[in-house]
Amino acid sequence: MIGAQELYETKLGPLPTLTGKPTHYCAGCEHGTLTRLIASALEDLGARERTVLVSSVGCSVLAHEYLNVDAVQAPHGRAPAVMAGIKRVRPDLLVFSIQGDGDAASIGLLELLYAANRGEPITIFLVNNAIYGMTGGQMAPTTPEGMVTTTTPFGRDLHQTGPPLDASKLVASLEGPAYVKRVFLPVTPTPSPEFFNARGALEGARAVRHAFEVQQKGGFAFVEFVSTCSVNWKLSVLESKRYAAKVLAPLFPAGLYRDRFGVEAR
Amino acid sequence: MPESLVVGLPKSRVVVDAERCKGCDLCVVVCPQRNLHLSERFNRMGYHPVEFRYHGGRGDCTACGLCYWVCPDFAITEVSRLRP
Amino acid sequence: MNADRDFLKGNEALAYGALRTGLNAYYGYPITPSSEIPETLAAEFGRGTYPEFRAFVQAASELEAINMTIGTAATGAKAMTATSGPGFSLKQEGISYAAAMELPLLIVDVNRSGPGLGNLGPEQSDYFQATKGGGHGGYRNIVLAPDSVPEMALFPSLGFELAFRYRMPVILLADAFLGQLKEDLTFPEVPAREFDTSWAVTGARGDHRHVLSSLHLELPDQSRHVEHLRSKYEEIVGAEQRSEEIATADAEVVIVAYGICARLARAAVRSLRDRSVRVGLLRPITLAPFPQDRLNALIDGGVRNLLVVELNSGQMVEDVRLVAEGRARVESLERVGGLLPSSGEVEAAAEDLTSSGDLRSALEAMVQ
Repeated sequence: MIGAQELYETKLGPLPTLTGKPTHYCAGCEHGTLTRLIASALEDLGARERTVLVSSVGCSVLAHEYLNVDAVQAPHGRAPAVMAGIKRVRPDLLVFSIQGDGDAASIGLLELLYAANRGEPITIFLVNNAIYGMTGGQMAPTTPEGMVTTTTPFGRDLHQTGPPLDASKLVASLEGPAYVKRVFLPVTPTPSPEFFNARGALEGARAVRHAFEVQQKGGFAFVEFVSTCSVNWKLSVLESKRYAAKVLAPLFPAGLYRDRFGVEAR
Repeated sequence: MPESLVVGLPKSRVVVDAERCKGCDLCVVVCPQRNLHLSERFNRMGYHPVEFRYHGGRGDCTACGLCYWVCPDFAITEVSRLRP
Repeated sequence: MNADRDFLKGNEALAYGALRTGLNAYYGYPITPSSEIPETLAAEFGRGTYPEFRAFVQAASELEAINMTIGTAATGAKAMTATSGPGFSLKQEGISYAAAMELPLLIVDVNRSGPGLGNLGPEQSDYFQATKGGGHGGYRNIVLAPDSVPEMALFPSLGFELAFRYRMPVILLADAFLGQLKEDLTFPEVPAREFDTSWAVTGARGDHRHVLSSLHLELPDQSRHVEHLRSKYEEIVGAEQRSEEIATADAEVVIVAYGICARLARAAVRSLRDRSVRVGLLRPITLAPFPQDRLNALIDGGVRNLLVVELNSGQMVEDVRLVAEGRARVESLERVGGLLPSSGEVEAAAEDLTSSGDLRSALEAMVQ
C-alpha cells in the first residue's frame, strides 16, 4: 500500500534553519515573513553552519530565538559595529543583522553609516515599519508626517521633528556600499478589494539572497524592507497593508539604489 | 504506480499548522483561488486558524506557494504537489 | 620592533605587550593621553610584523570601537580597545553588555583629569567607574593597575589570561603619567596561551549552536544570570587578589597607593626607612578584586594607621575604609586636576601618622 504522503512531492516545506519556536511577532507582521525569507536563503546557500546573526534591539531582539544559527546580541543600534568586529577577524563567516528603523536609523545611525562607508562585508536587513514597535508605538525616524504615535499624539509635526529619514538614500549616498535595495514587503492591495498580491515577499526573497551573495563577494549589502505595524498603527492587519501602500510606498519608494557587482542582472 | 491510485487525489496540498496560526488573513487574501479561509473554531492561542480546501472559491490549488511565503508565523508548513 | 629590550613610553610598551601576547584585533578612537597606543598598533599592523594581529580599525566613535571589540571577542579572538576618561564613559554601555554576555576583552583607560573634558594631566578618578561596574546593571570587572612601563607591557598578557579564564572584560587602569612616561624595559617571554573558546560564535555545528545574549526575559532567568555573575566575581575575589608590599612586616603606618602614586610612596618609604621611621607600602595590583585579604592581614597584624594616596577626591579610600571597618585610622592624601603630590609630601603625611608624628602634632597644638 502506498501512503498518500509518498504520492506528493514537497515543493516548499519546513526549514531546518528555523528553530520552530512560535514567534512573539504580532499577527501579520513582516518580521515573521522576513525571518522565513532569511532561513530559506541561508539554506539555498548551504550557509547555516557558517552564519552569525547579530540581533538588535527592537522587535528583532529575539530573532535568534527563531533562526537556528549562531547569534550575538548587540546593544541598541550597534549591530553594524559588532558585525564588523566579527567579520574583520572571521571573514569566512556570513554575518548579518535584522534591525528596526529606530535601531538602525536613529540610535545606531552612526554605526550604520560608518560600516557602510568602510564597505564592511556584512549584510543588514532593515525593517522599516515607521514606528517604535517594541516600546509601544512611539515616533520613529521614519514616521510619516501626521501619523499619530504615543509621542506625537497630535500627529507628527515636521516643523518640530524634521522630515522622515530615508535610510536607503543615506546609505546609498556613500561610496562604500555594494548593494542597496528597498523592497515593499507587505501584501499589496489590488483593484479587487478581496485580493492582495504577494509580490513583496517574492521580491524580498530575491533581495535577501542577493544581499548574502554580495557579502560573499566582499561587499556591504543593505536591504530596507518597508513594513507595517498594525498594532501600533491601531489598524486591522489588512488596513495596515492598505495604509502602507498608500502612505509609505510613495514616501519610501522601492528600488535598487546600488548594485556594484551586478547581482540583479544575472 | 497504477493510475487508479492517483485518480481522484488532489493535485496539490497545503499543510497548515493550526496551532501556529495567528489568523492574520494574509494567506487568505493572497491565495489566487480562494482556497484558504479562517476557521470558526479557536486554536490554543485564541485565534481563528486558517484552513485549507483544495477546491477553493475560484478553482483548485495550484501549489503556487504564495501562502507559504507571506505567512509570518511559518504556519503554512508545507506545499506539495502530486507526483506526476 | 622585535628586540626584547627597549626604551619606550608606557602607551607604546602596552601596545607591544598586547602584540606579544597574540592580540588579534584593536579598535579605538583617538584621545589624549592614550593615542600612542593606536598609533603604535597602526604602524605594526601596516608592517605586518605580528601575523596574529588581523584587525586594526580607527572607529568613528568610542561606541563603535567598544562594539567592534565585542564582535571580535564574540568569536573567541583577543580584542582590545584603549581610551582615556571621556572615552571610557562612552564605552560603559558596551562594557555592561560584554559583562552580561561574558565576553573576554581588554579595555585600557589611560586616566586623565575629569570630570567633563578636564585636562590631560594624570588622575585616578576613573577608579569608581572601573572598579564598581561602571555601566548599567550589576556586574564587576577585573581591574589591573600597572605602576611602571614594564608593567604596562606585561599586563595585557595577564589581562587576557584573566579575561579568558573568567570570560569577562578586564580593565587596565593606567594614568596619563604612566602612559607618557618613558622607561627602560625588557619584554618578558610570554608563552602563547590557548584559551577555551568553545562558547564562541563561529557557526552552528549540527544541532549545537552558540547564542551570546544579554536578554533574559523570564524574571527567574535574569535573576539566575546575575547571581551567576556575582558568584563568578566572588570566586575571583577569592583567587585573584594581587598586591605588592614593601616594608610592611614591622610597619606602624602603611601607605596604600597604586599606579603613579605607588611610585611616589615607594620613594617616601625608602626615605622614611633611612630615618628608621617604620612605614610600609601596600600597592594594589588588582584594584578589583581589591586586595582586602592582605590589608586585613596587615590590620590583624597590628597596623593601626593607613594612608591612602590617590589622584582623585577620595575613591579608593572608601574601599580601604570598608576593609578597615574602624579597626585602623584611615587618612587620605589626595591631589586632583593633574597635580601630583611630591614624594616629600607623601613622606610627611605618612610620618604624621606615626606615634612620633602624633606626638609632634600634639606638641605643636600645645605651643599654639
